[in-house]
Amino acid sequence: MKPNPCNPIDHRLSRRQWLGTSAGAALGMLGVCRPGVAQQLRQRRKQVLFIWLDGGMSQLESWDPKPNTQFGGPFRSIETAVPGIRISELMPRTARQMRHLALIRSVHTQDNSHSAGVARIQRGDPSNRGVTYPYFGSAVAKLLGPGESGLPPYIWVKPGNGGFITQDAGFLGPRYGALALGDGRPPANFLRPDTLTAQDDQERNDLRRLLDRRYAAGRRSAGTDANSYVYEMAAQLQRNANLFDSRSLPARDVERYGSSDFGRHMLLARRLLEAGVTFVKVNSYGWDTHGDNFNAHHTMVPKVDQAFAAMIEDLAQRSMLDNVLVVMMSEFGRTPRINGDVGRDHWPEAWSVVMAGSGIRRGIVVGQTNALGTFVQADEHDIGHLFHTWFTALGINTARTRYDNNGQPLPIAHDECRPVRALLA
Amino acid sequence: MGKIMQQPRPQANQPRRVRTVNTDRQLGVIRFSPCGRFLAGGGYDATVRRWDYTEAALNALPNLTGHRGWVQALAFHPDQRRLFTADSWGEVRVWNHTERQPNASRTIAAHDGWVRDLAVSADGRTLATCGRDRKVCLWSTQTGNKLHELTAHTDDVFAVAFHPNNQKLVSGDLRGNVYEWDVANGRRGRTFDARSLFGVQRLNDVGGARRLVFDAAGRSLAVAGGRPGTSGSVPTILLFDFAAARLQHTVSVGAATDGFVFDLAFHTAGYLIAVTSGTPGTGKFFLHRPGEQAPYFVSTAMPNCHSLAVHPSGQRLFVAATNAGSNGNGRPLRNGTYPGNTSPLHLWELPRATP
Repeated sequence: MKPNPCNPIDHRLSRRQWLGTSAGAALGMLGVCRPGVAQQLRQRRKQVLFIWLDGGMSQLESWDPKPNTQFGGPFRSIETAVPGIRISELMPRTARQMRHLALIRSVHTQDNSHSAGVARIQRGDPSNRGVTYPYFGSAVAKLLGPGESGLPPYIWVKPGNGGFITQDAGFLGPRYGALALGDGRPPANFLRPDTLTAQDDQERNDLRRLLDRRYAAGRRSAGTDANSYVYEMAAQLQRNANLFDSRSLPARDVERYGSSDFGRHMLLARRLLEAGVTFVKVNSYGWDTHGDNFNAHHTMVPKVDQAFAAMIEDLAQRSMLDNVLVVMMSEFGRTPRINGDVGRDHWPEAWSVVMAGSGIRRGIVVGQTNALGTFVQADEHDIGHLFHTWFTALGINTARTRYDNNGQPLPIAHDECRPVRALLA
Repeated sequence: MGKIMQQPRPQANQPRRVRTVNTDRQLGVIRFSPCGRFLAGGGYDATVRRWDYTEAALNALPNLTGHRGWVQALAFHPDQRRLFTADSWGEVRVWNHTERQPNASRTIAAHDGWVRDLAVSADGRTLATCGRDRKVCLWSTQTGNKLHELTAHTDDVFAVAFHPNNQKLVSGDLRGNVYEWDVANGRRGRTFDARSLFGVQRLNDVGGARRLVFDAAGRSLAVAGGRPGTSGSVPTILLFDFAAARLQHTVSVGAATDGFVFDLAFHTAGYLIAVTSGTPGTGKFFLHRPGEQAPYFVSTAMPNCHSLAVHPSGQRLFVAATNAGSNGNGRPLRNGTYPGNTSPLHLWELPRATP
């Protein structure tokens, strides 16, 4: 593989450095270095919203319904805004947004366990080269950079606890980890207390930086870099504290996204995207419905439907779908067979993923399963194909772009897979 | 005709499993006709299964077809002829089940989506239905006309039951709200608080008042479901003094992996009969004397029990359970095909009086 002279570089992560390198990083993806193009890229920066339904959403109760069949479950399918495309009756709002969406119903992956499957899917399941690949969020943070927002490039909005999650970054190093906002809240104690003046705060940070530099001198490592990075990140978040002030949200938006945790987190995600965050991941837990699958989906899917449809509508109205790639998925689908607990088990054999936005064709379905929904008909598509597709949709040439792992060039997606062209605009 | 397996005879004064009849599909509900000659079942394949029952055998009759979606609710009319069935696409069908291959004599577009339950009043005049559209509807069994549409519930309505006096109806929802209704005028009456059967687990609203049953005298109302914890739920029955609208007794059986009470009935001898289904392979069939702390008989021999049908004689009942090994991740091909699960029907002899 011929090295790409404009490969993404290790971005310096102070705000000044971010500002200086974001255009270069974007240029790296295209392999061009003209100032006019840089200006254009700044105006049309790519971003990602990655929605992760942890545990495995049932494709049969969402994107690939098989009503009135042996394994089809109790729910009906409904028409969408695109004639001929039907989805579950549990998603009426999303059905109205179908003209913006692309569905792939031929996803076939390799792992039916959560413990391995989550990481395997979010890392793109690349060929084994003896290294730990980054999650999609860390990969995009590396490849697209933080942009000009002054905000961390990879923010993860999730229920439960937050923190700086370095494991996502794999061999890229901990600085490309995720800043997790537990329950959508900023890191604890991140706001400057009223008793501390801005000047005192500045002096403290200056002292900390000095000590960091002295400590790091001669022992520079990814860990010390990440440690400094976290402080800088906190300072940047302080300057954007308004993002977390839910009182400033229009009541109508709160109502449209829904009062569930997921609804609140999706609304925060929209604000983070509007503020320029490169990659926003939103997690919802509790989708591992081995028991009571149908009642569970009956209560959970409508909450996702509400927030997801509101998000798509908003991104479309703001013309952000031209730049923001939206993906919603799980680590696998759920078995067609209904077990004794009226549940569905893990099913990587034939499931669905929905996407929209930057570089993605709109209002289409790619691939299909058989009449009972048990297996894929014709071509199966693994997560590697989807990683190629998403990188391509973001303007990243997967054939030419390589990670540089301390001198070891590594492909950014499974080298035996290719983009699913039918999904690309 | 299913395969019959004879069971060994257990101790006296205990329910005794007589035999098991296999089926080829999963059933969510089974009920005996008032005459005791017919057993009907509804399940996950839109068909209504029927059997001609004798003490010696269970002979399959032609399926009733025409429904779409799941059939999870059915009830016989006391006139011995009519069978009311409901599906998850919102439709109620009325059949003359005594015919060998009947077509539906009436089809009612009853609800927008899943009809969760239906009941016929003891005098046979009124049919009640409820569903995921949050409505309870009362219908004339004679004309099929809608008499009242009852709209107080704010969530999925899981269950309905007529009081034996025909004048009152109760309905229970996902949140554990159980409302009393006047059948004649549709007015809402008292509320029975079964909210302990509801919980929130992450994004999931769990539980609810899943089954409502009166005793023969109408003094006790049993509300069945599960008591949710941080994960899973414990099968639970709340027993109310109906006249006082007061919770008298709570029966919880098992652990958080045991799930929900899926079905229950009062035996004419006064004891409660219930079945549960939890994590795959987990099921209980138990008999309970109201007022006692724990059931006096519990069988765990049948995986994932979803329904029970007590014969009008009170001497026998069927339990619709699940085949063993019903779960598993990934690709369990059997002889090159992808297998579904089934609901074996287990026939039990019951104690004639409370032991």
